[in-house]
Amino acid sequence: MTCHSPNPMNGELLSKRKALETLWQQGTSGHKLLRQQALLIDTFISRHFSTARSRQGIALVALGGYGRQEIFPFSDVDLLLLYNPAVVDRLSETVEAVFYPLWDAGLEVGHSVRTVDECLTSAKEDFFFQVSLVDARFLAGEASLFATLQTRFRQEFIEGCRPQFIENMLAFRTKRHQNFGIQPYLLEPQIKENRGGFRDIQAMLWTAQMIFGLPDLAAMEEAGLLHNDERRLFEDAWDFLIRVRNRLHYLSTRKNDQLFFEHQEEIATAFDFKPADGLLAVERFMCELYRHMQTVAVTTDLFFEHVRETLSSLPTASPDRRLEPGIESRQGWLHLTDATQINKKPALLMRIFALSAKTGLPIHHRTKKLIKNSLHLIDSRWRRSKRLTRPFLDVLLHCGKSQHALNALLETGMLAAFIPEFAAVECLAQHDIYHVYTVDSHLMQTTAELHRLQTEESRIFSSITTPHILFLAGLLHDIGKGEGGAHADRGARIAGPIAVRLGLTPDEQDTLVFLIRDHLFLSSTALRRDLEDENFILRCADRIRNPERLAMLYLLSIADARATGPTVWNDWKGALLLELYLKIAHTLNRGDRLPPDRHDNIAWLRRQVGELLDNGSDLDPALLPEDYLLSFTPAMIVEHIKRRQALNKAELLLHAEEEKGHWALLILTKDRPGLLAKICGVLALHNLDVLAAQIFTWPDGTVVDQVEVIPTIEGNFTDQDWRGLEADLLAAINNRLGLAHRLHLKPAPLRRATPPAVARTRQKVLLDNDTSMESSIVEVFAAERPGLLYEITRTLADFGINIFRAKIAKEAEKVIAVFYVRNSDGSKIEDPALQEELRQGLLFLVAARPGRSTATLPFL
Amino acid sequence: MKKIEAIIKPFKMDEVKEALNNIGIKGMTISEVKGYGRQKGHKEIYRGAEYVMDFIPKIKIELVLEAARVAEVVECIRRAALTGKIGDGKIFVLPVEDVIRVRTGEKGYEAI
Repeated sequence: MTCHSPNPMNGELLSKRKALETLWQQGTSGHKLLRQQALLIDTFISRHFSTARSRQGIALVALGGYGRQEIFPFSDVDLLLLYNPAVVDRLSETVEAVFYPLWDAGLEVGHSVRTVDECLTSAKEDFFFQVSLVDARFLAGEASLFATLQTRFRQEFIEGCRPQFIENMLAFRTKRHQNFGIQPYLLEPQIKENRGGFRDIQAMLWTAQMIFGLPDLAAMEEAGLLHNDERRLFEDAWDFLIRVRNRLHYLSTRKNDQLFFEHQEEIATAFDFKPADGLLAVERFMCELYRHMQTVAVTTDLFFEHVRETLSSLPTASPDRRLEPGIESRQGWLHLTDATQINKKPALLMRIFALSAKTGLPIHHRTKKLIKNSLHLIDSRWRRSKRLTRPFLDVLLHCGKSQHALNALLETGMLAAFIPEFAAVECLAQHDIYHVYTVDSHLMQTTAELHRLQTEESRIFSSITTPHILFLAGLLHDIGKGEGGAHADRGARIAGPIAVRLGLTPDEQDTLVFLIRDHLFLSSTALRRDLEDENFILRCADRIRNPERLAMLYLLSIADARATGPTVWNDWKGALLLELYLKIAHTLNRGDRLPPDRHDNIAWLRRQVGELLDNGSDLDPALLPEDYLLSFTPAMIVEHIKRRQALNKAELLLHAEEEKGHWALLILTKDRPGLLAKICGVLALHNLDVLAAQIFTWPDGTVVDQVEVIPTIEGNFTDQDWRGLEADLLAAINNRLGLAHRLHLKPAPLRRATPPAVARTRQKVLLDNDTSMESSIVEVFAAERPGLLYEITRTLADFGINIFRAKIAKEAEKVIAVFYVRNSDGSKIEDPALQEELRQGLLFLVAARPGRSTATLPFL
Repeated sequence: MKKIEAIIKPFKMDEVKEALNNIGIKGMTISEVKGYGRQKGHKEIYRGAEYVMDFIPKIKIELVLEAARVAEVVECIRRAALTGKIGDGKIFVLPVEDVIRVRTGEKGYEAI
């Protein structure tokens, strides 16, 4: 290799490129900047070439993007040195004179040195070299050599070879889309290779030039290949992409065509995007970019469909066929045959998509254009018409075979015309690394994933009687996105009216709204909650209500996760989700839960109780509260009612029974403030740990309290002093027992000396208003200590809060107490001030370390 | 130096992470793993379909620390990960020969 002294011309090139960067900073962009880059390099190369001693029989030719005068700041410069075989001996000096300075200047040079014959041979073998010759541009040297190349190239590769060229072009295009993603909506789009990127633009322009001899977009419009408005949209898109790519190169200071996550914000700011409508500036920028890439993708798709049709002389397997009045299939494409008919029958605009879904045949590009131009016909009356809603649901139900019908529904704008709410999520991007696709694209894919699950999880799927509701939920579950948080709730509100318009039954409407509102429920709880916690599973079952809704929610959760991005779904999460699904399914199928027709069931229970009582009571079973009826068997209820008559003499009745693993206490008394607290206090005094409690209040003020306890000291059921317990309970409810000081004096149970580690247990108070329909749920996490439950329930009573159900779990030295509570007027605790006060009150309580320690033991 | 590998229930991850943070352990590696031990995989039959859950999803936490703190950290993880039920997981303690920080080349205790 020869050593070079620094060349003054190199410095000049560098400074000129710097000047261009300045120009760019001042606002020159788009095609203009690209051309100036190319001119700069033209000049540089020509000047070096002119210094070479032998220039005879040599021509310099620019290829590819450089040939088109489209040089991005760090693009490769494709240069061909064409030579006459006669001058081969003198070649090396010229090669050095031309190429070395380019390398020295730090340009990425794609170089080749060939004769005309060699060029044509290579072009036969290498399709990329072949298309780069389409853009060949003469730079310097012997022009006749270049002319020979042009003529022979035309003869050998264009005349009579058009179908072959198209086949190759389409094959490479398909392969590229597969490699780089068919969706133009990747999180970090590759703006050169992705669908809707520069390669698609070039492929169209090359083809237009090779096949039709149309050198540019203007010529294509003149030839009728593009409408004027299509051309303008396309030019806007192209220009936007060029500006993005220019900036991307300067930002990355290298040839980089992938719009990485970290560049997006910077470019959005540079392009002066501002946050608006709950969207970040970067999200609005990406939205704009996706829209432009979509324009390129759709325009080039239509172009290639047209080209293929024009050149195809093959007889097709499927003969032309009239499928229904106004719709025909011709050579495997669906056509609307009569544009004037559409005005009279707008339903055709939807029926053709349904036919496309059912037959798997794509809709012809001219028909797509026709549909696009007829969207104004879809007004609010048609949106409610069965003649449109039925075929629309058919599209959803049958688009499993091919995505084409559903994608075409979106691309033609028909979906947004039919469901105007959908327009808000079109091309909507979310700026986080989790969501790889835009919202509309994600919704399409979720629907496609649901179709895949129809086969993969066929057993679960076949249990669903209204699959169209599931597909609708797939299509609409994220419709509330784009205005900040809580998109599931907002989506459910938006979906309500859509469901009505689609003419769904009230049950179906209900299910759709439920699926959308709760579409995150399973996947978020599967990861975050203890699936062994039966109480939690019961709560899930309460919320989901029946096995069919659960099956739909489960399939929707899988489809949603799979369609979110490649990293979101894996076997690991799948296993957790399956476990949760099966647990809830088993619970829902067990007989001890209320059947879906709650009302019938309650009426039946009331009748049972009435028959068993046989008028033996003054209490009308119709007055008993519903949740009470659902919690006991009719026989037990009758037992309670009978015992209640004894209450007129005594103030409190206690009945204890030994059950498997615990003792069940039934306490009947009259309602009074702080009742549960007093019961808990007395139980603690008697060395009984509360596991669960349910409190029911009858309309006459009778309280039925069912408490499950275990003894803190090993002991027999029969040894327990039940009469003493009853006496103390009676004293307590009559305010004759100082529970606080008695509990304070009571030592910690001997077999569980308080370990020092307890101090590390984290205390926590959570308030949940979402899980239960009727009640607020208060969860208290605390270190275990005697009398704790008494203190918590007393505090709740002090706040005037009624406890309806309590569940107490002990894990190691930690207590988790869950209370279903309501205000005295039966409402949930919604007031934020009260919530905070309650939280603080309980936190203070569980954090306080009463001055009792093992040191008090000697006194007893 | 020792390496601690803890296999825990997935929903306990946040609690364990927080508990470790509270005692000043700031760095760890967390991965989603599947396996089985005494809590064998199981078969579920639902509506005639058989679902085999041969491997159970767990979280693996790995961290390297000076030997003197091992007992404290193990106890911290154990407490936070405990539910008292089968499948709570296991904690392994392994000797570590050396640690090298890639960026600086620091070795041993300094590199943790």
